[in-house]
Amino acid sequence: MKHLQKFTKAALISTMAIGMTACSSKSTAATETIDAQEEYGCNSINVYNAGEYIDLDMISAFEKQYNARVNYDTFDSNETMYTKLLGGSSYDVIIPSDYMIERMISEDMLQPLNKDQQTNEADYDPAVLKMRDAYDPDGKYSVPYFWGSVGLVYDKTKVSEEDVKKEGWNVLKDTKYKGNLYYYDSQRDGFMVAFKALGYSMNTENQDEITAAYNWLREMNDTMEPAYVTDEVIDGMVNSTKGIAIMYSGDAAYVLSENENMAWYEPDQGTNIWSDSMVVPKNAGCPELANEFINFMASYDAQKANSTAVGYTSVRSDVEEEMTAKDGDYYENDAYTVRKDGSKDEVFHYNEKLTKALSDLWNKVKVQ
Amino acid sequence: MKKKKPILSSIYMWIVLAFFYLPIFYVVFFSFNESKSLSNFTGFSTKWYEAMFENRSIMEAILTTVTIAVIATAVSTVVGTITAIGMSKSKKVVREAITQTNNLPMLNPDIVTAIGFMLFFTSLRISTGYVTMLLAHIAFCIPYVILSIMPRLRRLDPNMAEAAMDLGCTPWQAMWKVIIPQIKGGIIAGALVAFSMSFDDFVISLFTTGPGISNISIYVYSNVKRVNPTINALSAIIVYVVTFILILVNVIPMIRDKRKGKKYETLTEVH
Repeated sequence: MKHLQKFTKAALISTMAIGMTACSSKSTAATETIDAQEEYGCNSINVYNAGEYIDLDMISAFEKQYNARVNYDTFDSNETMYTKLLGGSSYDVIIPSDYMIERMISEDMLQPLNKDQQTNEADYDPAVLKMRDAYDPDGKYSVPYFWGSVGLVYDKTKVSEEDVKKEGWNVLKDTKYKGNLYYYDSQRDGFMVAFKALGYSMNTENQDEITAAYNWLREMNDTMEPAYVTDEVIDGMVNSTKGIAIMYSGDAAYVLSENENMAWYEPDQGTNIWSDSMVVPKNAGCPELANEFINFMASYDAQKANSTAVGYTSVRSDVEEEMTAKDGDYYENDAYTVRKDGSKDEVFHYNEKLTKALSDLWNKVKVQ
Repeated sequence: MKKKKPILSSIYMWIVLAFFYLPIFYVVFFSFNESKSLSNFTGFSTKWYEAMFENRSIMEAILTTVTIAVIATAVSTVVGTITAIGMSKSKKVVREAITQTNNLPMLNPDIVTAIGFMLFFTSLRISTGYVTMLLAHIAFCIPYVILSIMPRLRRLDPNMAEAAMDLGCTPWQAMWKVIIPQIKGGIIAGALVAFSMSFDDFVISLFTTGPGISNISIYVYSNVKRVNPTINALSAIIVYVVTFILILVNVIPMIRDKRKGKKYETLTEVH
C-alpha cells in the first residue's frame, strides 16, 4: 500500500513537471508591464467563467502584463454560479448571462464598474451596447464579453431550405421531418421557440399565451418524435445525425465550420438575442485589478483570441469584421454574425414566478 | 455424468466484461482523435494530451485531487483506527451512539452532507477553499475506515491484549504489537476505500471548495458544455496510471516469489 501511494505520487508529480515546463516555455507577446501590487495594493483575482469559454493563453498574458495571479474557475450554468456566490464565495470577475446580471443587480450583488478604467467600449458594436440597456440600464455594472442568438441549424441535403425559410420555427412541427430533429432541452429555450412561433413575446405573463405555447409544444412532442438534447447537439449535427436542430449561434458557427452541408437560419418570427457580460460582485477582494481584467478581456487582442478559440461572436466591431473578412476564420459563416435588425428579437428577462411555472410545464411536455 | 458446458454463463460473463470495459476503451480511443469530435474519429493525434499538459487549470486540479486524497486518507485512517479501537473497549451506550453518528454521513445522500458542510462553514464565516474541502473529505472518509475496521476488532480475542500486558508489554506496545497487526487488513481496506472515495468525490467537493480550487471531477463537470478530447486525455491518463499500478502490484510479488524459490533451490543444491 505504501509503495503504491508513493508510486502514484511520483508518477503524477513527474507528469505534472512535464506539463509545467511545457507551459512556461510558451511565450506571449509582452507589452508594457504594470505591477499590480504597487498600483492596486493586491495582485491576485478570482475569475469565474463558463466552461470552455476562453483562450487560456489570454489569462497568462494578463498575468504577465500585470505581474498578477488569476485563479480561474469555471461553472456549468448561471444557476450553479449564483448558488456558489450565495454560499459566500468571493470572486472578483464573473461572466454570467444577461438575465442573471439583471437578477444580481436587482438583488444588490454587484458593484458599479469604474468607467475610467474601461477604455474599450468605444470600439464595441453599437447593437451590443444598445442591447445591454435591457438588463443593465446605462451599462453601470457590466461590459459584454460574447453575444449571440438562438436559431435553426439544418442539413441542406435532408431539409429543404425553402421549407425552413417559409415556415420558420414551425418547421419543427412539419411532419415531413418527423423523427429527424433535435429539440433543445431547457424550459427557457424550449418555450422561447413556441412563443415566437405563435407570435408572442418570450417574456409574456399572459396565461392564455402560456397555455397556447404549452399546447404548441405538446403537439410538437406528440407528432414529431423529437430528441431532447443540450450540448450533445453539437456533435450530433457535426456528424449529420439528424436533419434539423435548435442551436446557439456560437455552437452553430462551429458546426458550420466543421460540416459544409449545414446551414443557419434565424426565423423572421423573432428569436432570443443574448449576451454574456463581465461583472464585479460586491464582495470582490481586488476590484481595481478586476476592472483592469475586464478592460483587458475587452481589448482587440483578447477578443480576437477568445473568439477564434471558442467560436462565439465577438462584441467588438473590428474583431467581428476581421473574423468574417475573406481570410478570416468565419468567412461566409452565417451563424457567426448576429442579426441586428430583427424587430421581433428579444432579450430574456429574469422572472422568478414565470421561470417556475414554465419549468413545471416543460416537464409535463416531455413526460407525455 | 459429464457436466454441460455453461455456454449461457460464459456469454453472460463476456457481456458483463464488455459492459465494464467498452466505455473505458471508448474514452481512451477518442483521446487520440485528431478533431474535436467525441463520436467521429478522423485520425490519430496526440495533440489533446499536449493541450492537457499545457492547461494550467487541469494541472492544478490534478494536484489538488491527489494531495487532498493522500492527506485525507492518512488523517482519516489514523483517526478512524483510533476511534474503532476506542469504541471496542467502551460501554455499549457510547458505542451505539458513536456507531449511529458514524452511519449518518453514509446513509445521507451526498448532497445533504455537502449542503450541511457549506452551511456550517458559511455560518462560522470560514471562507471556503482548499482547507475546508480537505476537512470535509477527512470527515466523510472516517466512517468508511471505522466501518471496515470494526468487524476485525469484533473478531479479535479480547484476552490477547491482556495476555500481552501480562507478559510485560506496556499498553502502547500491546496496541502496536498485538492489536494493530491483527487488524492490519481492515486498516488497509479502509484506507483504500477512503482514497478512492476522496479521489472521485464531486458533490461534497463542489460545495465546500472556494475560488481557484477545484479537483478533477469539478473541472470535468464545469466543462461538460462543449466537451473536447482533453477530458478524454485526462481520463485516459488516470486509466493508464491505474493499469500500471495494478500490473506492478500483481507482478512484483510474483517475481519476488520466484526469486525466493530460486534462492531456496540454490541453497539446497549447496547442501
